Amino acid sequence: MRSVIGSAVIVTAAAVTVFSLAVPPAKGQAPQAYRAPRAADGHADLNGIWQAVNTANWDVQDHSAQAGPMWEMGAIGAEPPGQGVVEGNDIPYLPVALEKKKANFANRRTNDPEAKCYMPGIPRANYMPYPFQIIQSPQGILFVYSYASSNRFVNMGKPMEAGSDTWMGTNNGHWEGDTLVIDVTGLNGLAWFDRAGNFASDKLHVVERFTRLDPYHLNYEATIEDPSVFSKPWKISMPLYRHVEKNAQLLDFKCVEFAEELLYGQYKKK
Amino acid sequence: MSHRFLAGSVAALALVSVAAGQAPPSTAKAGTKNWTAPKTPWGDPDIQGIWPGNMGVPMQRPKTLGDRTSLSDEEYAKRVTQAQKAAAADNEERAPKDAKVGIGPPSYWTERGKPTRQASLIVDPPDGRLPPLTPEAEKLRKEFRGGRGVPAEWAGQADTYEDLNLYYRCITRGVTGSIIPVVYNNGNQILQAPGYVVIRNEMIHEARVIPLDKSPHVGASIREYMGDSRGHWEGNTLVIETTNFTDKTSIGSNGVGYNGEGGKHSEALKTIERITRVDENTLHYEATVDDPKTWTKPWTMLIELKKDDNYQFLEYACHEGNYAMKDILAGARADEAGKGSR
Repeated sequence: MRSVIGSAVIVTAAAVTVFSLAVPPAKGQAPQAYRAPRAADGHADLNGIWQAVNTANWDVQDHSAQAGPMWEMGAIGAEPPGQGVVEGNDIPYLPVALEKKKANFANRRTNDPEAKCYMPGIPRANYMPYPFQIIQSPQGILFVYSYASSNRFVNMGKPMEAGSDTWMGTNNGHWEGDTLVIDVTGLNGLAWFDRAGNFASDKLHVVERFTRLDPYHLNYEATIEDPSVFSKPWKISMPLYRHVEKNAQLLDFKCVEFAEELLYGQYKKK
Repeated sequence: MSHRFLAGSVAALALVSVAAGQAPPSTAKAGTKNWTAPKTPWGDPDIQGIWPGNMGVPMQRPKTLGDRTSLSDEEYAKRVTQAQKAAAADNEERAPKDAKVGIGPPSYWTERGKPTRQASLIVDPPDGRLPPLTPEAEKLRKEFRGGRGVPAEWAGQADTYEDLNLYYRCITRGVTGSIIPVVYNNGNQILQAPGYVVIRNEMIHEARVIPLDKSPHVGASIREYMGDSRGHWEGNTLVIETTNFTDKTSIGSNGVGYNGEGGKHSEALKTIERITRVDENTLHYEATVDDPKTWTKPWTMLIELKKDDNYQFLEYACHEGNYAMKDILAGARADEAGKGSR
């Protein structure tokens, strides 16, 4: 991933803040001079292959370096340190929910839906350590994720009501200036936010905001609301980096076969 | 597929629609006269929209039909009756006492589609049937997995999850198998952006991003279930060449003529897909399957897709809800322990 972090990134990060490289600019603080090129739909062009470069998939909150869930993997399986992506760092869990989060953490090796190759849900899909591609078509915007072949179509027309609950949600988008705002409902609440066991329920409502910062970066923000798990809404934000390799393309990461032994090994013929 | 074939099948389809009381679809010729293929704002032919599959044409042609690409009135009427019977059976609240009880979905999930006169999805070779396997492929299929053959529809043997095929394992249906119509979740959506076409399949949730930049394929050691696709336009036809397949996948099935084993192929597989919008609401999807290590010659399917922008994709969370896998394996173990009952 080194090639992704070009000099442009460093310049941007330096411009944003000297205090915390992990915290992207808040809304409205993006460099005012930058005007994103237009896509065919007349809006800011978000087409591209993007990826988060942080450790949020390990833990969206601040975390020290520590052993991972699999000591057998040595340092390969260790959790790297990282500054969180949660605004203010605290997640306002209701007391019962906080207990569940702790239990999730304790059982993460087998219970994290990522270990089972389940669809990542929203917002986690956007900061897994794998690329995703935005296809901004005149008929709507498609997010294609490498991990688990997951994808979601963002309806830019008349908002659709969520049908049955799903992993990737019902996605209704609109533009606020050059920011793509996606209202995500109908989430089944089975996905986690990270490998640390942060979670929500099927009452989860996520409002995402994607804004071009410059040719190589998007700012990503998501407001997370779930009155059955959190006492108030909370927010994450981070930059997403454009893949600039000449041959950048998505490759299939169909992970089902790597989870089968974990899921079904106990039922095999001995 | 030769142009002669295309013309033949288009003419046949025109007959069907007249018989069904619909406006006849434009032939390729009439299309250029009466209908102008739309373009995207950046000038590519516009094939965007939702194009669900329509089950009801068998993969392989019954031998009795020979080289005929379309059904006679009598044969078509029979196909319609069969489809109606199947649909009626789907709507029965209870299965008949003598019905085979399987582990398939409830019958009210099924989408039988509208029968057409197309004799078979395979249009080349001219007899509409799969060409013979190479001796190498015959040998491989016999000797695979210590003589047990390639994983097929579940037939009672389930020592491990690898005894089930890729469908049961919810891994993928592959490039063509994701488009070949089956009994449910036949959604296909095409989206375009400058330099890209994406084919999104409801089945197992695929979204294949096809670059149009003529860049070389990824390195030969990268192998993928959906392969590595590159597309280009030939007039109004999108031509997609796909290589770098893993030999773990298979060509697919339409639940009628090529079910179960699904067409095990080698890593030498190359598919050439040709997608043409022949009128406002009709897409011709042709796929040529070329794998000289498996089939003695290439073969081609033609699948007609009708536009339906009201079709709603459902999230096909197959693996996430794959209770069948656990139950099949656990059931087999219980059976061995003498705890099961049939």
